[in-house]
Amino acid sequence: MSKKYALFLTVLFCGFLGVMVTANALTPDREFSQVENRPLAQRPALSLQSLVSGDFMSDYETYVTDQFPGRDGWTAAKAYAEKLVGKQENNGVYFCADSTLISRFDAPDEKRVANNAKYVAQFAEKAGVPVTFGLIPTQAYVWADKLPQGAPTYDQRTVYADVAGALPDTITLVDSLWTALPDHKDEGIFYRTDHHWTSLGAYYGYTAVMEALGLGDEVLPLSTYQKTTVSDEFYGTVFSSSGVRWVEPDEMDVYVPEEGITVTSRIYDASGKITEEPRQLYDESFLEKKDKYSMFLGGQQALGIVKTGNADKPKLLIIRDSYSDSLVPFLTPHFSEIHLIDPRYYKLSASQYIADNGIDQALVLYSVPNFVTDANLVWITR
Amino acid sequence: MVFSSVFFLFTYLPIVLFAYYITPLRWRNAVLLVVNLIFYGWGEPVYIAIMFLSTAIDYTHGRLVEKCKARNNDKGARMAVASSVFFNLALLFFFKYWNFIAGSLAGLGLTFMPIIQSLPLPGGHSIPFTLPIGISFYTFQTMSYTIDVYRGDAKAQRSIINFGTFVTLFPQLIAGPIIKYKDLGDQIDHRDHTVEKFASGVQRFTVGAAKKVLLANNLGMLWDTYKALPTAQLTTLGAWLGILAFSFQLYFDFSGYSDMAIGLGRMLGFEFLENFNYPYISRSLTEFWRRWHISLGTWFREYLYIPLGGNRVSKPRLLFNLMVVWAATGIWHGASWNFLLWGLYYGVLLVVEKFFLNAWMERWPNWLRHVYALFFIAIGWTLFAVEDFSHLGPYFRAMFGLAEGGLMNGAALYYLRSYLPMLVMAALSSTPLGKTLWDKLGEKSKKLLLPILLMAALLICTCYLVDATYNPFLYFRF
Repeated sequence: MSKKYALFLTVLFCGFLGVMVTANALTPDREFSQVENRPLAQRPALSLQSLVSGDFMSDYETYVTDQFPGRDGWTAAKAYAEKLVGKQENNGVYFCADSTLISRFDAPDEKRVANNAKYVAQFAEKAGVPVTFGLIPTQAYVWADKLPQGAPTYDQRTVYADVAGALPDTITLVDSLWTALPDHKDEGIFYRTDHHWTSLGAYYGYTAVMEALGLGDEVLPLSTYQKTTVSDEFYGTVFSSSGVRWVEPDEMDVYVPEEGITVTSRIYDASGKITEEPRQLYDESFLEKKDKYSMFLGGQQALGIVKTGNADKPKLLIIRDSYSDSLVPFLTPHFSEIHLIDPRYYKLSASQYIADNGIDQALVLYSVPNFVTDANLVWITR
Repeated sequence: MVFSSVFFLFTYLPIVLFAYYITPLRWRNAVLLVVNLIFYGWGEPVYIAIMFLSTAIDYTHGRLVEKCKARNNDKGARMAVASSVFFNLALLFFFKYWNFIAGSLAGLGLTFMPIIQSLPLPGGHSIPFTLPIGISFYTFQTMSYTIDVYRGDAKAQRSIINFGTFVTLFPQLIAGPIIKYKDLGDQIDHRDHTVEKFASGVQRFTVGAAKKVLLANNLGMLWDTYKALPTAQLTTLGAWLGILAFSFQLYFDFSGYSDMAIGLGRMLGFEFLENFNYPYISRSLTEFWRRWHISLGTWFREYLYIPLGGNRVSKPRLLFNLMVVWAATGIWHGASWNFLLWGLYYGVLLVVEKFFLNAWMERWPNWLRHVYALFFIAIGWTLFAVEDFSHLGPYFRAMFGLAEGGLMNGAALYYLRSYLPMLVMAALSSTPLGKTLWDKLGEKSKKLLLPILLMAALLICTCYLVDATYNPFLYFRF
């Protein structure tokens, strides 16, 4: 190696480091990653305490990695590289047929599943009203034939069978979710880039839920409604975690008109003070953001109250995850009020709430992946 | 701190190189000492105290040995050496083996050694009792120092700064190569910084980074899958796939680290000895150990095997010596029974080769010798990798066709398909094929290709590092 050539290589390497260091210094820190849909780590505060414990150092490394210049480009390139060397998954997401991304579903923590089933049973005992329970199968089960050949996936049906078996007979089960969705698996019942069901999927879910609630005769045919496409550029959560950038965006539809429906969200602060804020069945401001699914009922909330104006109809309480947000529009013609409790944020007694508000029926409805990982269901037993 | 991180590559390393090269020659060791301590303290700051302790103890002992020797006081010199070895082994024993022995004794109902959960600090604080990173590497290096001084292979270091720089030298501090003082002492005092050396360091570092980030981490994910798989789902194909992935992960992780260390050393003007020499092309297990983790093998030979009498002893004594060395080699890799078992496994196999097989193997065809060596290496890695003994039996049964999940299933085929290109790349990279092809290229093509390959490797590594939620570090146990 000649001296000149060695100098060239040295300059190349040091230049690369130098360019990255400079770019890092010049690009302002970002608060939030739209693509990854999460807040990014910020520069940690230096203190003697954090220095001695080593927290400062590990936080600083996370900070540097999170704020790396061009982060989204690098992570996307990594996903491409994985595909190039024959991988069929990245960051726990399978690359599936038909421009579809599906999160892996692995064997759940059996203890947590058993506990969550127990909490549902305890809730039903205290509720004082009929309780219906349903688990929603997701893409990894319903769209299993789209997964890469042989891709390992845990059978969600087994999970459901275990949970259902552990519940007392007094709880009505929404068994037909496990036929209503698979029967329509060739339709767009799930988003291809998000973990939720689409409004169409929610409609089939609605037919199953109505039947279990004893309101099977009231089910309205889909043709009652006019489909409205509200967005055709939706990239959901699975898209975010996958790093994959080569799939088509999803289309978002709504069916049920929102006229005459009011939504109120209750916020409980740490001191127990309650404030209320108005929300909408469809909050279209979210369509301008990354998190478009939050258009349904405005996203996360501790307690949501949907009033429909059908004063003669019963009142329903749903212990929910986010799948219910797009289900609620279909339920509105059949109830006067629908109350939605999210145990992640609502820490008061659910049975007390039922008594105080004259609720007629309660529904516990979760998607399988959310149910098996949820660590807050214990709150519904209060 | 680990080399394969965004922080190391784009914050720490640029600062170190800049600070090092703007400093006048005579202060460079002092700069190195400071950045070494930062490197070490980055993960567990309190354990920097061990660095100071180690430096102070061995520096003093080295001087003491030399003083005794100057006065022809051999007994005193030997005492000093013994005392230094005692301190180093005590350090290693306390941090690495205390809880292992205490736990094993407790299993027998003996509780005179308490299990230590945390270490008290002044001011009422405490820190969790964890293994100080790299302790197995640097205690071996400092131990070699006083012994080398006693044997006359090296002069005692007069400057405590220089000695501290040797003890804490960051490129090889946490994962080797294990450098003996006699090989490095002169370079600590005086070394050349040339642009040629720096450029060759850049190449070597990049090769190492690519091995670690692109090959080892990737195949590590496949092994993690099989390591965590309940035995009921294990298939024969899967079990072999898992151990194949682990074999490559360990080799590319470890040799990648050594390459990065050698490369970083060159950037700072040092020349370290090689640590790996294509171990998977070996045709016997004896040859494998001449090619695998060379610096550890040499260390044990020079500082344990030969002092025990080496091979110039009676046959029973030779057997004993070999078993001691291999038991020590095994347990050095981690405070757990499976590592001891793994060491003894090699002890037995190497004795068998030495006394029976070697002559016969000469007549075997080459392919058979490769198959033989690779087969026993893979079995060895299974002992090494499956730490849970209750899992080991079913894993071996699965490898030999008695898998609870059958010969193969859809998942095993899925993983085979997904990882086949990586496995083929890893297999080819384990042989000198790439080097041979490279050497065949003309000067001109090499000159053109080198910067392209270099930048491509650095850029792809950066993609993986920025994405790195997955960047495990394998050597916390050593």
